[in-house]
Amino acid sequence: MKVVLKVFLGILTAIGGFVDIGDLVANAVVGARFGLSLAWVVVIGVVGICLFADMSGRVAAVTGRGTFDLVRERLGPRAGLANLVASTFVTFLTLAAEVGGVALALELATSVSYLLFVPLVAFLVWFVIWRMPFEKMEQAFGLAGLALLAFAVALWQLGPDWSELLRQATHPSVPDGEGHPTYLFYAVSLFGAAMTPYEVFFFSSGAVEEGWSRKDLRTERLNVYLGFPLGGLLSLAIAACATLVLLPQGIGVDHLDQVALPVVLSLGKVGLAFLIVGFVAATFGAALETALSTGYSLSQYLGWQWGKRTAPREAARFHAVVLISVVLGAMLILTTLDPVKVTEYSLVFSAVALPLTYLPILVVANDPDYMGESVNGRVVNALASVYLVLLTVVAFAAIPLMIATKAGQ
Amino acid sequence: MRGADLLGLPVVGPGGEDLGRVLDVRLVQDGPILGAFAALRIEGLVVGRRALAARLGYDRYDAQGPWLVAAGVARLTRGTRYLPWADLQLTDGEVRSQVADLGPVPKIA
Amino acid sequence: MTGRVRDLALHLLDRQVVDTDGAAVGNVDDVELHVPEDGSPPYVIALLTGPQALGPRLGGRLGSWLVFWSHALSRHSGADPGRIGMELLTDLGAQVTVARSRVELGVHENEDRARTYFVERIPGARDARR
Repeated sequence: MKVVLKVFLGILTAIGGFVDIGDLVANAVVGARFGLSLAWVVVIGVVGICLFADMSGRVAAVTGRGTFDLVRERLGPRAGLANLVASTFVTFLTLAAEVGGVALALELATSVSYLLFVPLVAFLVWFVIWRMPFEKMEQAFGLAGLALLAFAVALWQLGPDWSELLRQATHPSVPDGEGHPTYLFYAVSLFGAAMTPYEVFFFSSGAVEEGWSRKDLRTERLNVYLGFPLGGLLSLAIAACATLVLLPQGIGVDHLDQVALPVVLSLGKVGLAFLIVGFVAATFGAALETALSTGYSLSQYLGWQWGKRTAPREAARFHAVVLISVVLGAMLILTTLDPVKVTEYSLVFSAVALPLTYLPILVVANDPDYMGESVNGRVVNALASVYLVLLTVVAFAAIPLMIATKAGQ
Repeated sequence: MRGADLLGLPVVGPGGEDLGRVLDVRLVQDGPILGAFAALRIEGLVVGRRALAARLGYDRYDAQGPWLVAAGVARLTRGTRYLPWADLQLTDGEVRSQVADLGPVPKIA
Repeated sequence: MTGRVRDLALHLLDRQVVDTDGAAVGNVDDVELHVPEDGSPPYVIALLTGPQALGPRLGGRLGSWLVFWSHALSRHSGADPGRIGMELLTDLGAQVTVARSRVELGVHENEDRARTYFVERIPGARDARR
């Protein structure tokens, strides 16, 4: 019974933990502009993140090593460093966006400018990392993030023509008045939202933090292969809400208010209350994960002691890096750079940075010297190869598409 | 001498022709006993031009998936050769091979 | 284990070194090769760790900068990188295990500095939270 409960809790945590500021913004923006015609990207992205998380989690459980240990071992110190700089830049940008997201959610609740909340949010992010045990931290924010299910309830309350929604989702086409490049640019953003590099750094390092071994692999697979797709469904509910409410009225999304609007219209104040809890939990949880991820990546590349298992003094440089990145992330948002814009850029750069860590992990997951019996099977490898090609194409296309469409304008 | 003093050194043939660079150093665990293990003794050098591709290890193992990566790396590293330690001289800033035609890299079982 | 083939970059360099408690000591940033007098092939006599060893492998301006500053800031070790004799190894796999604690190895100057001057001054630095 205890095992069942643990598995159940893990799946719930994975659902709540799946959605962050990137998913909130990208799905609402896309829903309001393209309806469900880009839903296929979410599906492809979710399969991709399942595959990537499964491989990196398995590697972490078998070898006890996090992602950037292996990136450096496979690519050498120079290419490894270039990789570290690029990946950490993207993770840092995401951290800033998440901190801004928490502050925006608090603005939504109080009508006090989000900028005033930024220092407080940054302090709390650091404080939780400093004091709260790892598993409790992960569960608390993952479960509270389930309040975002308000989107699913709102969708049901809106009473849509389900067959029409399904038709839109299964017959992708570029809506009238939108160019192909713009459509593809948003496809890249949505893909970057579903597959963000930090999720993998955090997932694999978290596996090491929780002391996973080979015998935990089944639980890991259940969490990934059930939790993430359900999280993906939640993302689609956000897009569907925007499709039903914002698209017909021509309301574009450039703030968290508009993301919340469909829920407010169908569920009123109670819905908004749930949504704000969900926004705060999801973005705060992701802020913790990204802040830890910057520390994980740098420490693993340089071979420092890292993690929350021990007292902070035992992993001094790791905790110093986490603290500094939280402070810098808050400072970036305090420059009054729009957090929603920061989010949109972080998604594009996520898509660019993905293959950098995907390839080394794929190689190590196939190396019997590391993995013994637990190397990738044929099916996983076939799928992983398709994604290698896909990720590479997306990475090369992302920046040109961003320039050509002026970031989707 | 450090590992970094060998890795990346240019390798030239008996007539001074360019054979590539040192990509890796093959070690065999049969040197003098140090603590619990026999020391890792140099047996030869892996020589070629694609350092990053070689670093993935596909040119050293027999069969390792996935096929797509293995095939791509095999194409990039097909010029990789093996230079036994007995057949070389270390001179200032380069490795001089005493044979012009180097053999393939022996696979690791 | 005798006779086993390992390639330096593929199987040894850049791997994590952990101590008897499983705590991270550093990476294998380079190795020291002993060249025997009798002309027989060199063998690995020690693992090198820290910026003084990583710098030359990174090369270029960044590498020299790293070596220069870690030398300038160092109080004890001077121009030499942290050195772990091969006789201390107990395992050589996905990670390298040594039979000493990280304190005994004394290759941890920068971690000590970050602890003493920064992290330990924040309340709660000594509490482990599981």
